[in-house]
Amino acid sequence: MKGVIKRYGERVVLDRVDFSIAPGERVALMGPSGSGKSTLLNCVGGIDRPDAGEVHVAGKRIDRLDHDALASLRRRTVTTIFQFFHLLPTLTASENVALPLQLLGIKSAECDRRVAELLGSVGVDHRADALPEQLSGGEMQRVAIARALAPEPSVILADEPTGNLDSTTGESILDLLESLSDRLGCALLLVTHSRRAARICHRTLLLRDGKFEGHA
Amino acid sequence: MPESMDMAESRGVVALLFRRFTLRHWRRHWRSTALLVGILALGVGVFLSIRLANRAAVSGFDLFTESISGESDFVLRPRAGQVLPESVVTDLRAAIDPLPVVIFPVIEATVAEASGDTTEAAPKQLLGVDLVGLRNLASFGAGDFGDEDGGVGFQLGSPNHGFVADTWARNEKRKPGDSFDLIINDRSTTLTIAGTLKDDPLRPAVPENLVLMDLPGAQTLLGMPGEISRVELVVPPGSMATEFRQRLSERIETLSASDTVLWRLETRNDRRASAAKMTHAFRLNLTVLSTLALLVGTYLILQAMEAAVVRRRSEIAILRSLGVEPGTIRRVWLAESLALGVVGSAIGIGLGWAMAQLAVGGIARTVNGLYYATTTEAAGLDPSETLLAFTFGVLASLLAGWLPARDAASTPPAQALRTGNRVDGFKLLQRPGLGVLVALIAMVCGWLPVWITASGNRWPVGGYLAALGWLIALSILAGVLFVPLSRLLMIWFQRIPEACYAASQLRRPTGRHRLAMAGLIAAIGMASGMGILVHSFEGTLTGWINQLLRADLYVATAGATNATNANVLTPTTWRQFAEDESVEGVDVIRRYSLEFRGRAIKLAGSEYNQQSDRRIRMNWLQSPENSDPQSLTIVESDGAVPAWVNEAFSRRFLIGRGDRIELVTPRGPQAMTVKAVYADYSDEAGTVLVNRNFTAQWFDDETVSNAAIYLKPGMDHEAARARWMEKFPALVIRGNVKLRSEALRVFHQTFAVTYALEAIGVVVAVIGLGLALASLLVERRNEMTTLNSIGFTRAQIARASAIEGSALAAIGLAGGFALSLILGVLLIYVINRQSFGWTLEFRVPWGLLVGLGFLTLATSAAVSAIIGYRGSQLRGEPEE
Repeated sequence: MKGVIKRYGERVVLDRVDFSIAPGERVALMGPSGSGKSTLLNCVGGIDRPDAGEVHVAGKRIDRLDHDALASLRRRTVTTIFQFFHLLPTLTASENVALPLQLLGIKSAECDRRVAELLGSVGVDHRADALPEQLSGGEMQRVAIARALAPEPSVILADEPTGNLDSTTGESILDLLESLSDRLGCALLLVTHSRRAARICHRTLLLRDGKFEGHA
Repeated sequence: MPESMDMAESRGVVALLFRRFTLRHWRRHWRSTALLVGILALGVGVFLSIRLANRAAVSGFDLFTESISGESDFVLRPRAGQVLPESVVTDLRAAIDPLPVVIFPVIEATVAEASGDTTEAAPKQLLGVDLVGLRNLASFGAGDFGDEDGGVGFQLGSPNHGFVADTWARNEKRKPGDSFDLIINDRSTTLTIAGTLKDDPLRPAVPENLVLMDLPGAQTLLGMPGEISRVELVVPPGSMATEFRQRLSERIETLSASDTVLWRLETRNDRRASAAKMTHAFRLNLTVLSTLALLVGTYLILQAMEAAVVRRRSEIAILRSLGVEPGTIRRVWLAESLALGVVGSAIGIGLGWAMAQLAVGGIARTVNGLYYATTTEAAGLDPSETLLAFTFGVLASLLAGWLPARDAASTPPAQALRTGNRVDGFKLLQRPGLGVLVALIAMVCGWLPVWITASGNRWPVGGYLAALGWLIALSILAGVLFVPLSRLLMIWFQRIPEACYAASQLRRPTGRHRLAMAGLIAAIGMASGMGILVHSFEGTLTGWINQLLRADLYVATAGATNATNANVLTPTTWRQFAEDESVEGVDVIRRYSLEFRGRAIKLAGSEYNQQSDRRIRMNWLQSPENSDPQSLTIVESDGAVPAWVNEAFSRRFLIGRGDRIELVTPRGPQAMTVKAVYADYSDEAGTVLVNRNFTAQWFDDETVSNAAIYLKPGMDHEAARARWMEKFPALVIRGNVKLRSEALRVFHQTFAVTYALEAIGVVVAVIGLGLALASLLVERRNEMTTLNSIGFTRAQIARASAIEGSALAAIGLAGGFALSLILGVLLIYVINRQSFGWTLEFRVPWGLLVGLGFLTLATSAAVSAIIGYRGSQLRGEPEE
């Protein structure tokens, strides 16, 4: 990310932000509410466009891509984990995880195998046929992680992934993210308010009023 | 005291919230508010327009021609047949003397204005009155006939001069002194315009088709010397008028009680009631249809209001978290619904009035063709109809606002604040047990007999209740199709992610899905049900016409498609056809209006040819022992005349084969034995058919209404037709094919209004589906964020929405078609039979249903795809 500026009306949310993350690196992004953390995440994920500056992901400049190219980026390269999990409520746990694989055109048998493997790796294979509303918060976040890992992305964006969980469950989710990111070698950009969450990251960035203040 | 303070406080809170939230929301989202008001206006407009047009068509006949003298106190009409001897005026004068009563004898006839093509001849009402007496009547201005001295040579009693409506003269660019051709019975004559009649704001408008003549002139012109059609009695205004009117009433009623008088007494109210009664079934069916359109509209308002509630759920939740009671929130929503209802209904009234002007022509043509002459061309804004439509619109809006507001207000604030949550909403449609119960009740209602009011009107209440019950039952029960369809889609499209996502939405349908489905079921059911009725009617009618129309050529006088056309073929004319060397045989029929058990019926005297092999075939419902028409000539040993009656007569009066009836004719009461009941789809008043020899004696009349001609084998139909057209220019002579197509044209014209209502219903339902999907997408904005984050493209989201919309439409179609079959059965075997007395063959218009299904699916898919594409960029609430 080079010299990224993002405004909402008169308000500057990201002010000439420069930032990079290496493959396999885990970076925690901290800052008070309204400091621009989610906006930065959205710019990296191609959900939002900066008003100025450049955003490069996996060697490709993405800030000028059209809707379909951005969709393709999110399908293969950058995936997101949300605070409120955002599982599709009408799909079962396994169907939620299968959806990104179906989008990549992976055949049914292969898809089923990988879904089972992913659910197993996050420890919820026994809840494969449950709907989101039948899962606990921790289980839902595990399914969301499995879904984010499904396309084997280069970058995972995690927006307060433990913000809606109790501390014990939160700890287990962080451990899971750490081990999976190590195993798969994908970069993790973790937005959090919690210093305990930041402990799994290689470095921490502090954002205030749209600018980085320094490394914590 | 504290209670009233609480109430005042509550009202204050409602007013505050209404100002702060409702009004501001309207300002900010003026487009969606305008759409809501527009939908409501459309529903009210359709309902009002049909009722106004109905009313106008019914009251049209009650205009100028019905009461040439102004507000006549009494009208005396022939007891049997169509004319009274003029001597009745002298007798009447002697009987009521010395009361100061003005007596107006009137002769009236339906004639036709000659044009190049006699089949297109416009009907005209010819009235012959005592012009001198009329001019002296206080209510008639002295200037009414002021133009007669304009150098046109008009003299009282002239059979060659007539007054015409000023509007007609201006439209046709005619002036006093000009002449025009009229067809009277089977001859053509020329009339000079003596003057024009201008509209007077204090009197009914002068109908455009009026020709007014002096009584003796009209009698001469019509070939009816010494005969009149009716007598109007007027008590001149003055201080004693009320007392004179009372005394006149007593005298007249005493006289009417005698069996020897030739007339029957009729007040204006009687006449109005009789016309309303004649068209009761026709109007009732149209009203029920328009109510169904309003019902579909109500579904739409319900969906729109629910969509508004969904958009503002967080606002409701915040208010509740601030301590506002659920009851107060409901009242704010009700106030909003009331305000929307009032504004929408007010606009709907204007819209309804405008739409009524378009509909009135079609309805008036139907009434003209089937019932009586009406000259209505514009529908007025009747206060009682306006109030009814307004009330209906406001109530529909209140109901539509109350149901979703109740659900929203009862949702816990924490749940409502989480925008990603699914809202089940509208619980009523989620109870299959209730659906089964309503279906059982509907089934029972379908078996209820017709309800006959004290005035003799027939209300198929059971049939209507059954139709409404099935509509509700299927709207609930069709919901069970969601899960199986979802499974099927999951299996069929397991490799297509957008299809899987769309199918998963149907696995657990929300109240909004069910509401959209119910709207579609109502609209499709209504449109297809009417389609089945029309198709069955058309099929039955075509079969009936094929049996009935077996002759080569059909002869009638000009303007003969009009129900009240009394023009006839004189014996000299019709016998010339019978005696023509190219003719093998002739069927003739003469129809008379009579009363039976106090209600208007028709007596037909027929004479069927015995020469041709192609004889008329009746479609028997109760067959006679001898179906040869010649059997109708044989009088029974007790003097009773054999008669065949049509189905409408049989059902109206519960008379069947073997029953005896008595009809009063100018030659006194005549006894008849019913030998058979036949199907007849041209009349719902009831017809008694006897041999023409009897009617000729009873009415001293050798004329016939029309004739069917069978040519000898090998004769050229067209050549014969051309030859006779030249010889009898005032007649309409149609070939067999032409007459069949004419009959079907009249049929389609009759149903023109229903086609328009069907189209409105389906359009409204598809808009409803679009609204439902739009609000579902708003509700699922967090899911949109998710779909975007895992790489769905906008096109894929649009396709998912299209698949979901199409699946929803498919369920709506399945339920709608099931409903249409049930409605078809109810319309044909219950409602139609009980209202009109006609038995129809059940036929399903598969082509129409497939077309309608395809169109609905395609439109739904397109609308859903557009909404999905637009909604694909919706973002969930930020989670920081």
